[in-house]
Amino acid sequence: MSADDAAQAATGDSLLRVRDLVVRFDSGRKVVLAVNGVSLDLEAGGALGLVGESGSGKSVTSLAILRLLPRSTARIAGGEVWFGGRNLIQLSDREMRSLRGKEISLVPQDPMSGLNPVITIGEQVVETIRAHEGVRRGEARRRAADLLGTVGIPRPRDQLDRYPHQFSGGMRQRVLIAIALALRPTLLIADEPTTALDVTVQAQVLELLHELTAQHGTAILLISHDLGIMARMTRRITVMYAGYVVESAPTAEIFARPSHPYTAGLLRSIPRVADMGRQLTPIAGAPPEFDRLPRGCPFAPRCAWALDVCWQEMPALIPMEAAEVAGGSPSGDHLLACHNPVAADEVETGKPLRPGFRPAPPPEDELVAQETA
Amino acid sequence: MTSPPTPASEPALLEVRDLRVHFPITRGTVIRRTVGNVHAVDGLTLELATAETLGLVGESGCGKTTLGRAIVGLIPPTSGAILFRGQPLGAKRTSSDGAERSHLQMVFQDPTGSLDPRWRVGTSIAEPLRLNHIGTRTERTERVSELLELVGLSPGHASRYPHELSGGQRQRVGLARALALNPAVIVADEAVSALDVSIRAQIINLLQQLQDQLKLSYLFIAHDLAVVRHLSDRVAVMYLGQIVEQAGAADLYTDARHPYTVSLLSAVPVPDPVAEAKRERIVLPGDPPNPASPPPGCRFHTRCWLRTRLGNPERCAVEEPVAQHVSAGHTAACHYVHEVPGQTGLSPVGPAAEPAS
Repeated sequence: MSADDAAQAATGDSLLRVRDLVVRFDSGRKVVLAVNGVSLDLEAGGALGLVGESGSGKSVTSLAILRLLPRSTARIAGGEVWFGGRNLIQLSDREMRSLRGKEISLVPQDPMSGLNPVITIGEQVVETIRAHEGVRRGEARRRAADLLGTVGIPRPRDQLDRYPHQFSGGMRQRVLIAIALALRPTLLIADEPTTALDVTVQAQVLELLHELTAQHGTAILLISHDLGIMARMTRRITVMYAGYVVESAPTAEIFARPSHPYTAGLLRSIPRVADMGRQLTPIAGAPPEFDRLPRGCPFAPRCAWALDVCWQEMPALIPMEAAEVAGGSPSGDHLLACHNPVAADEVETGKPLRPGFRPAPPPEDELVAQETA
Repeated sequence: MTSPPTPASEPALLEVRDLRVHFPITRGTVIRRTVGNVHAVDGLTLELATAETLGLVGESGCGKTTLGRAIVGLIPPTSGAILFRGQPLGAKRTSSDGAERSHLQMVFQDPTGSLDPRWRVGTSIAEPLRLNHIGTRTERTERVSELLELVGLSPGHASRYPHELSGGQRQRVGLARALALNPAVIVADEAVSALDVSIRAQIINLLQQLQDQLKLSYLFIAHDLAVVRHLSDRVAVMYLGQIVEQAGAADLYTDARHPYTVSLLSAVPVPDPVAEAKRERIVLPGDPPNPASPPPGCRFHTRCWLRTRLGNPERCAVEEPVAQHVSAGHTAACHYVHEVPGQTGLSPVGPAAEPAS
């Protein structure tokens, strides 16, 4: 097989295909695998959500795709990131720089730190355009004003010479979206783009992101912990826990039929009408420390479905059998990494409904490790 | 765990009457002069009963945090009154009303910022006891153990430092400290907002459990409307320093009558892709106005979709609306309360008829 064929086989019909990505953080004293064999697929024009709690590795994954990890401490220790026929991990810094902003761009979480406070808004948009395209200043400025208009900034021409602090949070986030979309990228990575915003402003920004990506056929990789935003914005959801992908399925199916105990637990942790006046069913315990991951599945210590094998071995992420999925899933589109999936009738209760079932306790040596930790 | 008896004649445990908190805007360094006022809280009235939870929602800058801080005495009010069991509390924390004040405690959003990183957790929890000269050292240590168990930690946690705890555990410590003086009212300002989803559910359950156990009243300030609905008996919606709508939790979410509440509810994404696709959304234009110069008339009229729909009646821009009675316990401050269409389906947790998932 030639290199091109290999690339073709690896990419398939995906715009972005991540395979077995491993990211290592080395702080001198300890080594941590923040991303531990993550695989993702995103088709052109698609919308993929990456869900997980803090420390799940979702932001690190997106930074690894963009090759923006801090060089001094982080290293991509394995895996492939295929984007448009190229493995991004093998690109030179220069090639990567010309790709960033033009083909893949990022909308960061904090609109203040995403903008340079001492440079005017106009200059920051112009800079992005001119870095990639040999256009004249005047032309770039004209396009910058158009872009600001597109993202709903009133009187865009007058705003070009203002500084970031003169804008509200929502307006700053609009500027960042304008910069991210300036060169019509094929992939937009949005890392918690509305977390810092108020509800009504969040609605404006989400609407804008949705409209613009749909208009230009831009694929979006959306990172968020908010399941409501995921329901509104994505077609597929990948759930991460402690650096692993534990479940991945079309959005409607994740909500209707979560099969990993962690996914089911997340959905039972958010208040809904049916729960009015009732207690929520939270997931016990707290996410693990990265330097103290248990040997098997990292979720085992919090899992009500744990079997003995879960303490020994991390299950592989594989397609669920159609029979296992309620209503059948002919496409094999539902990927799951679990030894003991949540059954359909257990989704509502949030605990196993099997007579006599008890979650497997940690093995002796694991207990010793926890005691001494 | 004893709380003083409540005289039968008093209806409300906590009452806020026409409260105003204005912050002066000053110019000049040598000769300081006041050039304006930020009307953070501007004529606000509310009541809280024993063992009741009042949810307070609104966007940043609406004054909800200032209100919470004024109630516990961290910010002196400009005018108006705060009454606890019918007794007005002084404008400033003084030794004379210290005993009353201790019945009002606060839990903060950021458990990392509100605990001293150099203090052991036990020292932080015992601080309110020490400041009020309650108990001997041994008694305080016992009380700390008791409080830690009450919030679901073990007495052993007393000797840990905040950085050794997880975010959820730190928030439990914040709660333990707030409970040290047996308060009747806890003002929880975004107390679960910084926590991860699975941990947040644990703290929400803990708050409910403590309320049942200790008959606590909560003023639960948050921007997450689904959490507020879950925890609250009644909900008040704030916009630019004023309450625009107040109702029982179920009522507010299914039958909102103020246009601002309606748009707020419609803006919240529902964690249910089917309902989310069907929902009608009202996206408000622009940002909330500057509270230093609130718009005349109805403060919401500059962003109001209902006013646009009604052909921009002049009344909204000149006449300040008063709270109108909608149904029992439900008021809304809008001239056109009855023009708001029925809002089932806009609720952030989905219509009651079709439970999510």
